[in-house]
Amino acid sequence: MSLNSFKRALWVYQLNTGSCNGCDIEILAALTPRYDLERFGIVLVGSPRHADVLLVTGPVTRQMAPRLKRIYEQTPDPKVVIAIGGCGLEGGVFYESYNLVGPIDQVIPVDVYVPGCPPRPEAIIEAVVKAWVKLEKAAEQKVA
Amino acid sequence: MASLAFWNPIACIIAFVVLVAIIYLFRSRGQKKYKKGTAQTQIFLSGEKPPDAEQRHIRAHNIYWGFFQALKQYYDPTIKAHTGIINDYIIWFITLVAVTAVILFIVWLT
Repeated sequence: MSLNSFKRALWVYQLNTGSCNGCDIEILAALTPRYDLERFGIVLVGSPRHADVLLVTGPVTRQMAPRLKRIYEQTPDPKVVIAIGGCGLEGGVFYESYNLVGPIDQVIPVDVYVPGCPPRPEAIIEAVVKAWVKLEKAAEQKVA
Repeated sequence: MASLAFWNPIACIIAFVVLVAIIYLFRSRGQKKYKKGTAQTQIFLSGEKPPDAEQRHIRAHNIYWGFFQALKQYYDPTIKAHTGIINDYIIWFITLVAVTAVILFIVWLT
């Protein structure tokens, strides 16, 4: 699919809501020279207010739930949320823990799910591409 | 000797207009999608609830944080000594006067 409406670099904000860091390391791996996501203009940014995509890892602990909601609300529209890893999708090894309010889609709406413990960088890259396509469609609808 | 500096209001106005144009250009390239009155226009503090505007200012005292940290060993006892009780200050004063008098007396003897 060609990008005709969303004609700019995709800025991504990554948030850890209680992950073991495994998924975060794989996200970092996607940015290293082996995969080099930045050559496509996909950049990690330091503030959700600059982001088009929220990359969320972790099963969402009680402490992180209000922060996750606030960060979601602070991201400008149109935005896409990607849930990375088994913990974010269904709790993973922390399933039914007293300290969880997740998975992620019980706190904020999720657009793309990436299963795996941790998922490979290729899977994360595919998810980001899907997010980009979703943003493109949203931009197209706005143009039309 | 003629000075290189000169005052030309036209040059200043042109400089001002050019600066405003550059600022406007930067501003127009910025994000326009923020919805006013929502969290999207609030400041980002790593997901923490932003404090009220009047609570957000950084106190001037914070500038000296490193200075106080470096001299902590000196400041801690001196801050403790400043109890705010006048009796303590008078005791300090009498002690210092007594020590000075003893030193002067020894010097006078020698």
